Order: sequence, then structure tokens, then C-alpha cells
Amino acid sequence: MLKIKNLTKVYEDGTVALKDVSFEVPDGEFVAVIGLSGSGKSTLLRCINRLIEPTSGEIWWNGIELSGVSGEELRRARRQIGMIFQHFNLVNRSSVLTNVLSGRLGYVNPIASVLGRFPQEDIKRAHASLARVGIGDKAENRADELSGGQRQRVGIARALMQEPKMILADEPVASLDPALAHSIMRHLQQINKEDKITVLCSLHFLDLVQQYSTRAIALNQGKLVFDGTPKEINDEKFIEIYGREAERIG
Amino acid sequence: MKNENKNGRFPRWLKTAVVILVIFLLYAYGLQVTRVNLEEPLEPQRQENLVSLIRSFARPDIFAYETETRRTAVSLRMPCPEEIKGSQVSIEGRQLLIVPNCVTTTQDPITITGSGFLPNAEILVAWTPIGSTSTRRVADLKASETGEVAVTFTMPDVRPSEEPQTLEVVEVIDRNIVGLSETTYEALDKIVETILMALMASTIGTLISIPLSFVAARNLMQNVKAPMASIMSGLILLPILGGGAYWLGQLLVGPLLSPEATMLPALQDSLTALGFVGNFIFVLIELFFLLLPLTLGLVGAVFANLVGSRLGEQATMRLPEGTLRILNFGTTVAGTAVLFILLAYAVVWLNVLGIREFVPESFWAQIGIYIWPGLVLGVAAALWALRAPAKYHYPIGLVVYNVTRTIFNAVRSIEPLMMGFVFVVWVGLGPFAGIMALTLHSMADLGKLFSEEVENIDEGPVEAITATGASQLQRIVYAVIPQVTPHYIAYIFYRWDINVRMSTIIGFVGGGGIGFVLQRNINQILYTRASVMVIAIAIVVIVLDNISARVRSRII
Repeated sequence: MLKIKNLTKVYEDGTVALKDVSFEVPDGEFVAVIGLSGSGKSTLLRCINRLIEPTSGEIWWNGIELSGVSGEELRRARRQIGMIFQHFNLVNRSSVLTNVLSGRLGYVNPIASVLGRFPQEDIKRAHASLARVGIGDKAENRADELSGGQRQRVGIARALMQEPKMILADEPVASLDPALAHSIMRHLQQINKEDKITVLCSLHFLDLVQQYSTRAIALNQGKLVFDGTPKEINDEKFIEIYGREAERIG
Repeated sequence: MKNENKNGRFPRWLKTAVVILVIFLLYAYGLQVTRVNLEEPLEPQRQENLVSLIRSFARPDIFAYETETRRTAVSLRMPCPEEIKGSQVSIEGRQLLIVPNCVTTTQDPITITGSGFLPNAEILVAWTPIGSTSTRRVADLKASETGEVAVTFTMPDVRPSEEPQTLEVVEVIDRNIVGLSETTYEALDKIVETILMALMASTIGTLISIPLSFVAARNLMQNVKAPMASIMSGLILLPILGGGAYWLGQLLVGPLLSPEATMLPALQDSLTALGFVGNFIFVLIELFFLLLPLTLGLVGAVFANLVGSRLGEQATMRLPEGTLRILNFGTTVAGTAVLFILLAYAVVWLNVLGIREFVPESFWAQIGIYIWPGLVLGVAAALWALRAPAKYHYPIGLVVYNVTRTIFNAVRSIEPLMMGFVFVVWVGLGPFAGIMALTLHSMADLGKLFSEEVENIDEGPVEAITATGASQLQRIVYAVIPQVTPHYIAYIFYRWDINVRMSTIIGFVGGGGIGFVLQRNINQILYTRASVMVIAIAIVVIVLDNISARVRSRII
């Protein structure tokens, strides 16, 4: 269970990215986070695993106050939260296998990992993760030799290595063409259903939201303006979320 | 509107005219300050000197020659008998006339004229003094296009003798390259020395600068924050663990390095039997023992920091607010005092304030003096720190970043030439001083360049690796190092190239390498030899540049 209470983030330049946001996510949900560019979706996701420090408010997850931990405790919490990025954020010059194995960094012996050694079972698990997302044959390739869709699958495999209880996906399909977008979304959906992993996924296209998510929350200028099922987003709600000038295309 | 007003008051042409006038005056003054003088370089004597210098450089002394010669001997009397006359020789179609055929003093001129030589042949007049086996060159000349010669010279020395002495007119009839000149061999020897000097300085400098470059990268350090208790516990433990480890190291290697110890000399004897490889192994072993106390001290200091920050972190997390405040206060007093004592000791040791003679010699007595002002300062700092919340995380990473950066820039700004000078004072003339100077400069220079590379990386992978729960060290190894490796390698080659060029200059202050002989040759006006050295440097720099370009394109 993820509980966000009065979360506010003000950047150093004075930009208010999140304003008093509160919501709850029961385990196993597939939550779409929607809103215009700059509405605070990325900031929200990054505050949850503290890639960005919240200014005020509380984040509770399975009895831990994520907004209050630091050092070792923070790392222990982070390793159970996978993250997928719009620009994949792979280490281009490393092999696909190394990229996937780096998902284990929160678990393995720190000294061995710094020397590049991983337990045999982790290596097996990495191959299995790659096979699961359909690129089992690419383990030895360099990450930058892969196409966009393949790279995002590596990103998913890396997140899976963390044995996460929750996955944060920051516009995972915004850099991909529609066909690839669906394939990546299906992988996320499958992970959500089969592994019972909570997914928080920011998305741009409403058809993807309707098709894959069990629930949607919407942000507008840092404020939570909608929290409900995707079906509830009618024309009136749409204007509230995206503003008057927007035209419904999805 | 404002803009228009401005333009109204100062027309554009006026502004341009003022700028041109300022530039004109600047150059006029610059010319005077730099004493540009166009007449002196136009003087015939100076032009002649320049031409002869350039010609010497254009004729490098690369090859050794074997010359085939034809000799014609004429006799010379020292001193002159009563009757002074000339004498004539004729051999194989060559005629020589020497007038007079005797000298009494070194001022007496002798004239040799002749014909029947090879056109434009190089000719020298050689004298073998009586009772001597070595020949001295007394005159140089060149035959005319028709094979005639004429030269007037004086003898460098007079050796009176009853017997007539021999002057030989030696005509070069053929010249063959038989190999490389001694200058070339010396240049090869010294350029190898230079390359190895530069290589060692670059690699050692790199090894030291890599870990430091991560500490000097803003993007890695700005998120490193620690609560007061962590920072101060680290400071308190620093002299205890660091100093303790250093002392332990001294205790361990002390008996080994003392003059009575026999182990190292015995080892040296047996290892030098293996030649330069054995010597290398011995130097490594000796270096290990010499650096052991320092290394242990550094490890102790790092350990102190880790333990201190860990303890502080745990305390900050677990303790209730009130207790934490008391702990923060106490550790701040002690930590600040420790910092003050260390700094005061360093300042007095360096004698920055010129008060060294008024302070007791003994370490502990000095500490006794510093401890009270240290504690007073500590209390002041602790009171100041009370203003912040007890769990406030201070941006200690930025402090470390700024300190490292400042040190890099300070060391970088000192020319290796100066450092070479200092190290020559410390370790004596030779390449060792050069290596140390170049290493120090490379370290600071590469440290800065490397850290800028780290600051330019794509932050995405760092973010992704952070999100997996990785520690700072794992983040560096998995997200930063793969991104910066090609740039680091490129910089190492670049630095090697710079070090080759710099080591030529360091040689000028006695830092060894090819610069040392280059300077000697220039001072002795042996420009044809200096030219060989310059060519050797140019070849090495060009080759290194090519290799580095290739390596770079291969890696990236």
C-alpha cells in the first residue's frame, strides 16, 4: 500500500511542481498518471523513490515512511521499487547483461559488485529476465546496438531484477512508435498481473490509459485534479485535466 | 525608448571611433612596453648570425661519415732559420707553394697556395706537432671551381725543433655515410628516457587523479549530505585512526629501514643480479615499505570517516531530538577543536606566520597550547550550529568538492618547470626529479579534466542506477566509469604527449631527459647537434599524436 500525504515539491528556482498531493494506491493496482507536460508527473514518481527530495509531505509505503529514511534504509527501500524511464537510461557502453545485472546492486555484496562479480544465480536470473521480455539473444550486445523498443525491454528486465514490489514507469513509451508502445505496455501489464507488482505509470495517450490501467490519477499544474477509473474521464474531466485548448484525440 | 536615447546621445560612428582609438592606443603602448625594435633584426651582422644558426639547424648531425682523402705534405720549420724562404711541392699533378716555410711565433702568417685539386673540394690543413701522435686542424678552406687553393693562417702553437715538421693538406675526395653519429645515439638514448619519464608521470598521475576526479565532480558531490554528528565524528576519529595507523606503520617498517637492518640491502644485492628488472622489483619493494606508514594513515583516515559518518547517521536516525542536540553539541565542540589543532599545527610547521621559533618543538607541547583556543572555537561553532534543526543534513560533499577543486587549480597553475626546480633541490639532478614534477602536474591537470568529463556525463544512467538502491561507489562504477572511460584514455594520451614536450623544458633545470642535452648543446653553440634533439622530439610528438588519435577512434 502506497500512501501519499500532502506531498509538495518546490524547486530551488521557485517552481511549484507538486502542490499538496494526496492519494493512496492499494497493492497490485496499475495506476496511470496523466497530465500535460510540466504538470508534475515525473516529479511525483521521482519523489516516491526519492530521486527528488520532496519539500514537505509524507510518503508511506508498506509501513515505511519513504520521505523520512536516508542512507542504508533508503537504499533498502529503493531496491524494492523498480523504475523505467522515457529515455531508457541504460549505460550505453556496457553490455545488455551488465545493464540488467545492475538491477541487483541493492542486494549483492558491495565489494564483489564493484569488482564486477555477481553471484551465478543472479546471472541466471538476468538471462531469464531478458528471455521474459523477448530479447534473450541480446545479452552480449552493447546496449547502444539495440533499437529503442529493445532498449526499453532491457530497462524492464533491469527493473525486474530488483524483485520489485512496485514499478515506477516515467512515460515508458513516449519515445517509441505506437506498435512498440503497445508491446511495452503489454509487458508492464503482464508483470502487474502475473507478479502482482503495483505499477505507477505516467502516460500521454488516453487510449493507452483506457486499455491498460485499472485506475488513473491526473495532475494539473502540480495539483491532483482527478482520481478514479479511466472510464470516468469524460469530456468535462478532460478539460479539467488538459485545459480548454486541448483537443481529445485518444 | 531607453535604447533610442542612448543611441541619440552617442552616435554609432562615435562609439566605433572610440573603440578603434582605444585599440590603437593599447597597441601603441604595448609596442613600447614589449620593446619591439625593427632596426636591430635588420642589422647585417644579426642577419648573418640568424642565417648561420638556421643553416646549422637545417644540417642536423645525424650521420657519421667516413671520408676518403688525399694528403699532400709540406714541411715547416720552427723556429725560422736565418734565411726565410718558401718551399714548393708537386705530387701527382698537385702543386703547393708555402710562403714562408717556417714560423717563430704564433703571430707569423703562413700562406699556402696551390692548384690541381678537385673543384670545390673541402680541404683542411692538419699539423702533427713533433713528439705528438694527435693531429691538430690549423686551417679550413675550399678549392675553387678550377681546383685552385689559397689560404693564409697562423699556427696555434709553436714547438721549436731541429727537425722540420709536417703540415698536411688534406683534401676530401669522397664522403660516405657509415652509420649514425654519436649525437644521434645520444638523442635516441635520451628520447627513450624522455618517453619513459613522460609515460611514468602520466600513468602515475592518472592513477592518483582518477579517484580524486570523482571527488572533484560537482554532480556526484552535490547530493552527498551528512548530519552534524556524522561530520564531526569523522573529524574526531580522523587523528585517532589516521594518526594511529601511521604510527603503527612507522613501528612496522622502522626496524626494516634503520641503517642497521640487513634485510633490504641483502635483498638489493640479490635482486640487482637480475639486472634492471631486479632493480625495478627492489624499488617497488622499497617504495612499498617507505609508503606503508603513509598508506596506512590514509586508509585509517578514510576508515575514520566511514565509521564516523556511519555512527553519526545511526545516532541521528535513532536518538530522540533532545539527546541528538546534546550529541551534536558535544561532537561539534570536539570536532572543531580537532580541526583547529590540525590546521594550527600545519600553519606553524610551514611557518606561514613566522612564529615557529616561539612555539615549543615537541608535538604534544604544541597541542597543549592549541587545545584551549580550539575548544573555545568549538563551543562557538556548536552554538552557531544549534540554529539548524538537529537532523539537518549539511552539504559536506560540496565542501569536499570545493577544497579538491581549489587544490587542483592551485597545483595546475604552477608550471612544471618550477616544480622541477623544487624537486631537483629535493632529489637531486636527473630524470627522477623530472618524473616527480610531471607526475604532480599531471595529477592536478588530469584531475581537473577528468572531473569535468564526469560533470558532462548523461545523468540518466546515474538516475537509473540510483533507483536500484545502489550505493555511491556502485553508482560510480556502474553509471559513471563506463561513460567516462574513453575520454579518460584520450586524456591520458594527450597528457603523455604534453609530458614529452614538457620534459624537454624540465631538462633545462636539470630534470633529465632529452632537454638536458638539448640545453647543453645550445649553450655550447653546437646547433647541428641541438637540431638532432629537436627532430627527435618532433618525431615522438607526431607519432604519439597519431597513436592517440587511433586509440581514441578505436575506443569511442
